[in-house]
Amino acid sequence: MGMHSFGNRANAFVTFAVTILAVMCSLASLSDNFNVHTPTADVKVFNINWFQKQPNGNDEVSLTLNISADLSSMFTWNTKQVFVFVAAEYETPQNALNQVSLWDGIIPSKEHAKFWIHTTNKYRFIDQGSNLRGKDFNLTLHWHIMPQTGKMFADKIVMTGYRLPEEYR
Amino acid sequence: MDWEGQKRSEIFMLISLVVFGVVAFGVGYAIGSFQIMMLIYGSGVVLTALITVPNWPFFNRHPLKWLDPSEADRHPKPQVNTAAPKKKASKQK
Repeated sequence: MGMHSFGNRANAFVTFAVTILAVMCSLASLSDNFNVHTPTADVKVFNINWFQKQPNGNDEVSLTLNISADLSSMFTWNTKQVFVFVAAEYETPQNALNQVSLWDGIIPSKEHAKFWIHTTNKYRFIDQGSNLRGKDFNLTLHWHIMPQTGKMFADKIVMTGYRLPEEYR
Repeated sequence: MDWEGQKRSEIFMLISLVVFGVVAFGVGYAIGSFQIMMLIYGSGVVLTALITVPNWPFFNRHPLKWLDPSEADRHPKPQVNTAAPKKKASKQK
Protein backbone atom coordinates (compact mmCIF):
# COMPACT_ATOMS: atom_id res chain seq x y z
CA MET A 1 0.00 0.00 0.00
CA GLY A 2 1.30 3.41 -0.87
CA MET A 3 1.49 5.69 2.12
CA HIS A 4 3.46 8.57 0.66
CA SER A 5 0.71 11.16 0.27
CA PHE A 6 -2.39 12.23 2.15
CA GLY A 7 -4.61 10.83 -0.59
CA ASN A 8 -2.85 7.47 -0.66
CA ARG A 9 -3.02 7.11 3.10
CA ALA A 10 -6.70 8.07 3.15
CA ASN A 11 -7.42 5.51 0.42
CA ALA A 12 -5.49 2.73 2.15
CA PHE A 13 -7.18 3.59 5.44
CA VAL A 14 -10.75 3.60 4.13
CA THR A 15 -10.19 0.36 2.20
CA PHE A 16 -8.88 -1.46 5.24
CA ALA A 17 -11.46 0.03 7.65
CA VAL A 18 -14.33 -1.09 5.41
CA THR A 19 -12.79 -4.56 5.04
CA ILE A 20 -12.70 -4.97 8.82
CA LEU A 21 -16.29 -3.70 9.02
CA ALA A 22 -17.38 -6.32 6.48
CA VAL A 23 -15.67 -9.06 8.49
CA MET A 24 -17.39 -7.88 11.70
CA CYS A 25 -20.80 -7.86 10.00
CA SER A 26 -20.23 -11.32 8.54
CA LEU A 27 -19.32 -12.69 11.96
CA ALA A 28 -22.38 -11.03 13.48
CA SER A 29 -24.56 -12.72 10.90
CA LEU A 30 -22.86 -16.08 11.41
CA SER A 31 -23.36 -15.81 15.17
CA ASP A 32 -27.13 -15.93 14.57
CA ASN A 33 -26.77 -19.59 13.59
CA PHE A 34 -25.98 -20.48 17.20
CA ASN A 35 -29.35 -19.18 18.36
CA VAL A 36 -31.98 -21.84 18.97
CA HIS A 37 -35.53 -20.74 18.20
CA THR A 38 -38.25 -22.12 20.43
CA PRO A 39 -41.24 -19.93 19.52
CA THR A 40 -44.71 -20.82 20.66
CA ALA A 41 -47.95 -19.66 19.08
CA ASP A 42 -51.64 -20.29 19.48
CA VAL A 43 -54.47 -18.88 17.38
CA LYS A 44 -58.09 -19.41 18.29
CA VAL A 45 -61.11 -18.48 16.22
CA PHE A 46 -63.06 -16.59 18.85
CA ASN A 47 -66.07 -15.92 16.63
CA ILE A 48 -67.28 -16.14 13.05
CA ASN A 49 -68.87 -12.71 12.72
CA TRP A 50 -70.46 -13.22 9.34
CA PHE A 51 -70.09 -15.45 6.32
CA GLN A 52 -71.53 -14.58 2.95
CA LYS A 53 -71.31 -14.89 -0.78
CA GLN A 54 -70.43 -11.66 -2.56
CA PRO A 55 -72.54 -10.59 -5.59
CA ASN A 56 -69.65 -11.66 -7.83
CA GLY A 57 -69.76 -15.17 -6.42
CA ASN A 58 -66.72 -15.10 -4.12
CA ASP A 59 -67.09 -16.30 -0.54
CA GLU A 60 -66.07 -13.93 2.22
CA VAL A 61 -65.90 -14.56 5.93
CA SER A 62 -65.21 -12.28 8.87
CA LEU A 63 -63.47 -13.79 11.87
CA THR A 64 -62.48 -12.65 15.33
CA LEU A 65 -59.16 -14.17 16.32
CA ASN A 66 -57.30 -14.58 19.58
CA ILE A 67 -53.62 -14.67 18.72
CA SER A 68 -51.05 -15.39 21.39
CA ALA A 69 -47.39 -15.99 20.77
CA ASP A 70 -44.01 -15.89 22.45
CA LEU A 71 -41.36 -15.08 19.86
CA SER A 72 -38.74 -13.74 22.28
CA SER A 73 -36.35 -16.63 21.60
CA MET A 74 -35.93 -15.34 18.04
CA PHE A 75 -34.26 -12.15 19.13
CA THR A 76 -30.47 -12.01 19.14
CA TRP A 77 -28.10 -9.07 19.29
CA ASN A 78 -28.22 -8.97 15.48
CA THR A 79 -32.02 -8.84 15.18
CA LYS A 80 -33.56 -5.62 13.95
CA GLN A 81 -37.19 -6.71 13.93
CA VAL A 82 -39.44 -9.68 13.32
CA PHE A 83 -42.29 -9.58 10.83
CA VAL A 84 -45.14 -12.00 11.57
CA PHE A 85 -48.33 -12.77 9.74
CA VAL A 86 -51.19 -15.20 10.20
CA ALA A 87 -52.46 -16.85 7.04
CA ALA A 88 -55.47 -19.05 6.46
CA GLU A 89 -54.34 -21.96 4.30
CA TYR A 90 -56.66 -24.41 2.60
CA GLU A 91 -57.01 -26.63 -0.43
CA THR A 92 -59.50 -26.22 -3.27
CA PRO A 93 -60.11 -28.29 -6.41
CA GLN A 94 -58.22 -25.68 -8.49
CA ASN A 95 -55.29 -25.02 -6.14
CA ALA A 96 -53.43 -27.34 -3.78
CA LEU A 97 -52.56 -24.40 -1.52
CA ASN A 98 -54.48 -21.17 -1.01
CA GLN A 99 -52.99 -18.65 1.39
CA VAL A 100 -54.96 -15.66 2.65
CA SER A 101 -53.20 -13.28 5.00
CA LEU A 102 -55.53 -12.34 7.86
CA TRP A 103 -53.33 -10.36 10.20
CA ASP A 104 -49.73 -9.16 10.37
CA GLY A 105 -47.47 -7.22 12.67
CA ILE A 106 -43.94 -5.96 13.15
CA ILE A 107 -42.24 -6.82 16.42
CA PRO A 108 -39.57 -4.24 17.11
CA SER A 109 -37.88 -5.77 20.14
CA LYS A 110 -37.65 -8.69 22.51
CA GLU A 111 -39.78 -6.82 25.05
CA HIS A 112 -42.70 -6.85 22.61
CA ALA A 113 -42.18 -10.42 21.46
CA LYS A 114 -44.58 -12.01 23.93
CA PHE A 115 -48.06 -10.79 23.03
CA TRP A 116 -51.74 -11.55 23.06
CA ILE A 117 -54.10 -9.95 20.57
CA HIS A 118 -57.85 -10.09 20.20
CA THR A 119 -58.73 -8.85 16.72
CA THR A 120 -60.99 -9.21 13.74
CA ASN A 121 -59.16 -10.17 10.56
CA LYS A 122 -57.10 -7.16 9.47
CA TYR A 123 -57.18 -8.18 5.80
CA ARG A 124 -60.31 -9.55 4.13
CA PHE A 125 -60.70 -13.31 4.01
CA ILE A 126 -62.07 -13.81 0.49
CA ASP A 127 -61.89 -16.98 -1.56
CA GLN A 128 -61.57 -16.57 -5.33
CA GLY A 129 -64.57 -18.76 -5.89
CA SER A 130 -67.17 -20.33 -3.68
CA ASN A 131 -65.19 -22.91 -1.79
CA LEU A 132 -65.37 -21.82 1.84
CA ARG A 133 -68.56 -23.50 3.06
CA GLY A 134 -67.65 -26.37 5.38
CA LYS A 135 -63.98 -25.88 4.49
CA ASP A 136 -61.24 -27.25 6.72
CA PHE A 137 -58.36 -24.84 6.96
CA ASN A 138 -55.09 -24.24 8.76
CA LEU A 139 -54.02 -21.07 10.48
CA THR A 140 -50.29 -20.61 10.01
CA LEU A 141 -48.08 -18.14 11.79
CA HIS A 142 -45.26 -17.16 9.43
CA TRP A 143 -42.31 -15.07 10.46
CA HIS A 144 -39.31 -13.37 8.94
CA ILE A 145 -36.47 -12.52 11.29
CA MET A 146 -34.83 -9.40 9.88
CA PRO A 147 -31.23 -8.94 11.00
CA GLN A 148 -29.20 -5.77 11.46
CA THR A 149 -26.84 -7.32 8.95
CA GLY A 150 -26.63 -10.60 7.08
CA LYS A 151 -28.98 -13.45 6.47
CA MET A 152 -32.74 -13.29 6.98
CA PHE A 153 -34.46 -16.31 8.51
CA ALA A 154 -38.03 -17.35 7.77
CA ASP A 155 -40.12 -20.13 9.26
CA LYS A 156 -43.67 -20.92 10.36
CA ILE A 157 -45.90 -22.74 12.82
CA VAL A 158 -48.87 -24.55 11.27
CA MET A 159 -52.02 -24.89 13.39
CA THR A 160 -54.60 -27.32 12.09
CA GLY A 161 -58.18 -28.29 12.81
CA TYR A 162 -60.22 -25.20 11.91
CA ARG A 163 -63.46 -25.46 9.99
CA LEU A 164 -65.83 -22.92 8.44
CA PRO A 165 -69.63 -23.31 8.80
CA GLU A 166 -71.68 -25.19 6.24
CA GLU A 167 -74.12 -22.27 5.78
CA TYR A 168 -73.77 -18.52 5.14
CA ARG A 169 -74.75 -16.38 8.09
CA MET B 1 6.17 11.93 5.54
CA ASP B 2 9.55 10.18 5.40
CA TRP B 3 10.14 6.49 4.66
CA GLU B 4 10.26 5.45 8.30
CA GLY B 5 7.12 7.48 9.00
CA GLN B 6 5.23 5.81 6.16
CA LYS B 7 6.15 2.38 7.49
CA ARG B 8 5.12 3.22 11.04
CA SER B 9 1.91 4.88 9.92
CA GLU B 10 0.89 1.81 7.91
CA ILE B 11 1.76 -0.71 10.63
CA PHE B 12 -0.05 1.35 13.26
CA MET B 13 -3.11 1.63 10.99
CA LEU B 14 -3.31 -2.15 10.43
CA ILE B 15 -2.87 -3.05 14.09
CA SER B 16 -5.14 -0.33 15.42
CA LEU B 17 -8.08 -1.14 13.13
CA VAL B 18 -7.82 -4.89 13.77
CA VAL B 19 -7.64 -4.34 17.54
CA PHE B 20 -10.63 -1.98 17.50
CA GLY B 21 -12.55 -4.46 15.35
CA VAL B 22 -11.84 -7.37 17.68
CA VAL B 23 -12.64 -5.37 20.82
CA ALA B 24 -15.81 -3.93 19.30
CA PHE B 25 -17.08 -7.35 18.23
CA GLY B 26 -16.16 -8.93 21.57
CA VAL B 27 -17.85 -6.26 23.65
CA GLY B 28 -20.87 -6.03 21.36
CA TYR B 29 -21.41 -9.77 21.39
CA ALA B 30 -20.84 -10.04 25.14
CA ILE B 31 -23.38 -7.38 26.10
CA GLY B 32 -25.65 -8.19 23.16
CA SER B 33 -25.65 -4.78 21.55
CA PHE B 34 -25.00 -4.26 17.86
CA GLN B 35 -25.11 -0.51 18.43
CA ILE B 36 -22.31 -0.59 21.01
CA MET B 37 -20.17 -2.61 18.59
CA MET B 38 -20.66 0.01 15.89
CA LEU B 39 -19.97 2.89 18.29
CA ILE B 40 -16.71 1.34 19.51
CA TYR B 41 -15.52 0.54 16.01
CA GLY B 42 -16.65 3.92 14.68
CA SER B 43 -14.70 5.80 17.35
CA GLY B 44 -11.70 3.56 16.64
CA VAL B 45 -11.89 4.39 12.96
CA VAL B 46 -12.04 8.14 13.63
CA LEU B 47 -9.16 8.00 16.12
CA THR B 48 -6.97 5.88 13.84
CA ALA B 49 -7.70 8.12 10.86
CA LEU B 50 -6.69 11.20 12.84
CA ILE B 51 -3.41 9.56 13.84
CA THR B 52 -2.35 7.88 10.60
CA VAL B 53 -3.68 9.98 7.72
CA PRO B 54 -2.39 13.53 8.35
CA ASN B 55 1.32 14.22 7.92
CA TRP B 56 2.19 14.72 11.59
CA PRO B 57 5.66 15.92 12.64
CA PHE B 58 6.42 12.64 14.41
CA PHE B 59 6.31 10.87 11.05
CA ASN B 60 9.15 13.08 9.82
CA ARG B 61 11.94 12.36 12.29
CA HIS B 62 14.08 10.30 9.91
CA PRO B 63 14.89 12.56 6.97
CA LEU B 64 17.11 11.19 4.21
CA LYS B 65 20.60 12.69 4.33
CA TRP B 66 21.59 13.81 0.87
CA LEU B 67 25.17 14.61 0.04
CA ASP B 68 26.05 18.26 -0.09
CA PRO B 69 26.10 19.61 -3.68
CA SER B 70 29.75 20.63 -3.26
CA GLU B 71 30.54 16.94 -2.68
CA ALA B 72 29.05 16.09 -6.06
CA ASP B 73 31.10 18.82 -7.73
CA ARG B 74 34.32 17.34 -6.37
CA HIS B 75 33.47 13.91 -7.82
CA PRO B 76 32.02 14.65 -11.25
CA LYS B 77 30.31 11.89 -13.16
CA PRO B 78 32.51 10.18 -15.69
CA GLN B 79 31.73 11.52 -19.13
CA VAL B 80 29.80 9.06 -21.31
CA ASN B 81 31.34 8.81 -24.73
CA THR B 82 29.29 6.03 -26.34
CA ALA B 83 25.49 6.12 -26.73
CA ALA B 84 23.81 5.23 -23.41
CA PRO B 85 25.65 2.27 -21.85
CA LYS B 86 23.69 1.74 -18.66
CA LYS B 87 21.94 4.54 -16.92
CA LYS B 88 22.28 4.86 -13.21
CA ALA B 89 19.15 5.66 -11.27
CA SER B 90 18.78 9.36 -10.81
CA LYS B 91 18.94 10.70 -7.33
CA GLN B 92 15.41 12.06 -7.45
CA LYS B 93 12.89 9.87 -5.71
